[in-house]
Amino acid sequence: MLQQLINGMMLGSVYVLIAVAFTLSIGILNFLNFSIPGLFMLGGMISWVLISMGVPPLLAFGLAFLIACACALVVEKLTFSWMKGSDHEVPLVSSLGFLILFEQILLVFYGSDQQAFPKVIPNATLKLGDLVIGSAQLLGLVLSIAIVIGISRFLKKTRVGRGIRAIAEDTTTAEFLGINVNVVVPLIFLISGAVAAIGGMLFAVNYSQVSPFMGEEVGFKGISAMIIGGMGSVWGAIAGGLLIGLAEVMSIYFLGSDFVDLSVYGLLLIILMVRPQGLFGLAQVREKL
Amino acid sequence: MLLEINSLSVKYGRIPALEDFSMEIKRGEIATVLGANGAGKSTLLKAILGMEKASHGKVVWEGENVTNWSPSRRIKDGLALVPEGRRILIAQTIEENLLLGAYQRDDVDAIRHEMETIYDRFPNLCERRHMQASCLSGGEQQMLAIGRALLSKPDLLMLDEPSLGLSPLFVKQLFKLLRDLNKGGLTILLVEQNTDQALALANTGYVLERGKLIISDGAQKLANDPRLHEAYLGVAAE
Amino acid sequence: MFSGYIDGLIVILAINVIMAYSAALPLVAGQLNLGTAGFMAVGAYMAAFLSNEYGLPIGVAILVGSLASGLIALIIGIPVLRTSGIYLALATFALGQILVAVFLNLEIVGAAQGYPVYGYIEMPTIALTTIGLLILLFVLSQTRFWLYLTAIKNDPTVCDLFGIEVRNVQLAAFVLGGMLAAVAGGLQAHYLSYVEAQSFGALISIYTVLFVILGGTQTVLGPLVGAAFFTFLPEVFRSGEEWRYAIFAAFIIGFMVLRPQGMINANMMRRLKAPFGGKASA
Ligand SMILES: Nc1ncnc2c1ncn2[C@@H]1O[C@H](COP(=O)(O)OP(=O)(O)OP(=O)(O)O)[C@@H](O)[C@H]1O
Ligand SMILES: [Mg+2]
Repeated sequence: MLQQLINGMMLGSVYVLIAVAFTLSIGILNFLNFSIPGLFMLGGMISWVLISMGVPPLLAFGLAFLIACACALVVEKLTFSWMKGSDHEVPLVSSLGFLILFEQILLVFYGSDQQAFPKVIPNATLKLGDLVIGSAQLLGLVLSIAIVIGISRFLKKTRVGRGIRAIAEDTTTAEFLGINVNVVVPLIFLISGAVAAIGGMLFAVNYSQVSPFMGEEVGFKGISAMIIGGMGSVWGAIAGGLLIGLAEVMSIYFLGSDFVDLSVYGLLLIILMVRPQGLFGLAQVREKL
Repeated sequence: MLLEINSLSVKYGRIPALEDFSMEIKRGEIATVLGANGAGKSTLLKAILGMEKASHGKVVWEGENVTNWSPSRRIKDGLALVPEGRRILIAQTIEENLLLGAYQRDDVDAIRHEMETIYDRFPNLCERRHMQASCLSGGEQQMLAIGRALLSKPDLLMLDEPSLGLSPLFVKQLFKLLRDLNKGGLTILLVEQNTDQALALANTGYVLERGKLIISDGAQKLANDPRLHEAYLGVAAE
Repeated sequence: MFSGYIDGLIVILAINVIMAYSAALPLVAGQLNLGTAGFMAVGAYMAAFLSNEYGLPIGVAILVGSLASGLIALIIGIPVLRTSGIYLALATFALGQILVAVFLNLEIVGAAQGYPVYGYIEMPTIALTTIGLLILLFVLSQTRFWLYLTAIKNDPTVCDLFGIEVRNVQLAAFVLGGMLAAVAGGLQAHYLSYVEAQSFGALISIYTVLFVILGGTQTVLGPLVGAAFFTFLPEVFRSGEEWRYAIFAAFIIGFMVLRPQGMINANMMRRLKAPFGGKASA
């Protein structure tokens, strides 16, 4: 039971990263960026491709990270910055187009099968009594929480972070104050894409498998985690991500794997009806897409 | 000349909001732009800051053509605007609002020091510096908006109808503040509906009617110019 | 062989068109429904179950399935439609996932193993049903109801002021959409002779919304054009087999860059209606 709790948190740490990626995009830009699961997948798949070509793991991760970041910037150029002033669904659709594009390109080259991701972290496990904690999983949990704390500090304490929060509240006012929106907005896409890509790498390392479609399900659960925690709240993303991870692992343990969707999305639906702003959200988050 | 505007035009879509507007502001001067609702006053200020694109004409700042500069670059170079409706970020603290004014600067110590000067000037803000700006009254918000603009260390401070919605007492304080700031060497471009007080404060005045400059004159002469009242009545009578 | 291919394509087109309108009805009123696949599943399972176990004629079974789906939409729509924007989109998304997950665990219809369907309908029946539905929808688009939908999207507050019961109109659109999706599900189940919960994944709902937005929601024709386009475009690229979906995705991105208002917009319709109107539309 306690072991399940730990497994749930480890799984949740991946959702935490995806939720943070979404929450940055929605909370600041009011944009549900569907390409995030695609960038998550690029992080995992490109690392795998490079490692299986013989690139040393650390370098492979670095390169995959850079490629995913570059893709995030391309997404910004062709979705968000183009679509200013159009219907809110429009950037949503084209970011979805990017998700499909990324998936299909990798599909063409590497097929749709699950690929085994090599062990890159020594197989050490931490044993506390009956509990078993994998070193890779522990690293994942620590890393994702560190990233979230880092982002939160960055937003709170730095000059650019203040600018980002000004844009989140009112883009026009931010412009009046001399914040270079044209630089800061791509930066937000970059951070959010980078976080998603790291999530994909962690997932690959922890669960030892990757595929072109690995982003979809994780992406949907990440969005749910974001809503449950509270849209736009970085701390909410941690709470929501861990909660979804726990709900998933617990329902597999007690009810069977076919019940996962029922409990995860049931939780989401209940939260949306009872407390739409989520656990940590502000009541008056703007309601656009 | 600090600021020179040469036959500037701005359009929203196909509709002209400002046509062929020219003005010159000397360092240390107070200029005021008057006109009825919809005359194009805000459009003018936004175009000077670079928030609206000029369809024709140019903006020359300290001898340099800045017509194609971004707002952030112009602000870094000494322009600042207290926008219409104050535009305080109510979800952030008062101090964060002030710091946003200094977004383009990186001389942290000087910013700290100037912030203290602003707090001295507006003790109401100082007391609540770590509270959300939503707790401020309209007048206090206007002071915050001005303080925020001052923190960018401007050479020219533009204000868009700062007296709107303030009590007479606050309006008095506001005009006294502007006079003080000007004595300290700050150049001011003021857009107002409050014609009499604006002209009493300013050196020169400009009157806009439906996007066109119809009078520009010394402030005192303008105050007695019958055409000034026509500019307001003419629009109202339509 | 060849005609089998054409038949199949027409059925896919018909299903896609019906689904497009099921998402379009709420979307015209500005509400994004990302759970249409769930309602499709309800219709598919319900109709299949009724025709299998109770021997109901297929048409009746589909109709009952559609009513059941409408009822579910009504019951759940009342609380869910209190939210709006992104919250609504995700609430409907969660709802779709939950509906499908319920069938995935429902032993009486085979749970994860899937559910064979014994009744069979032919392509022409499906095509005719779709045309019938389209006619109904076009008639609906001439009514005040449609006008209200577009008005709500543009400005719900003003609608409130003019006495339009915004909540009820939205609910009606949502329920009608749920019923349409169920018809699509029922038809598909009886054509494929098989129902499988896994085939109603979230991507079906998302693609459906994609058709609609690509087609455009400013006119009643938009969703039809979008769905048709989506059905045929990948076929056109068939020669490039493995690249076709990648090309397709690139096309979506490019299209949205060039024409964010969708393929068919209101201006274009006005021009079509008044070809010699000179300055009909400014
Ligand atoms: N974003 C915009 N899009 C279209 N038209 C605009 C826009 N902003 C202003 N206008 C129009 O341009 C004209 C000038 O507007 P502007 O805001 O500059 O007037 P103003 O003199 O500041 O008026 P007020 O005293 O009411 O603030 C008006 O006719 C207005 O309707
Ligand atoms: Mg104005």
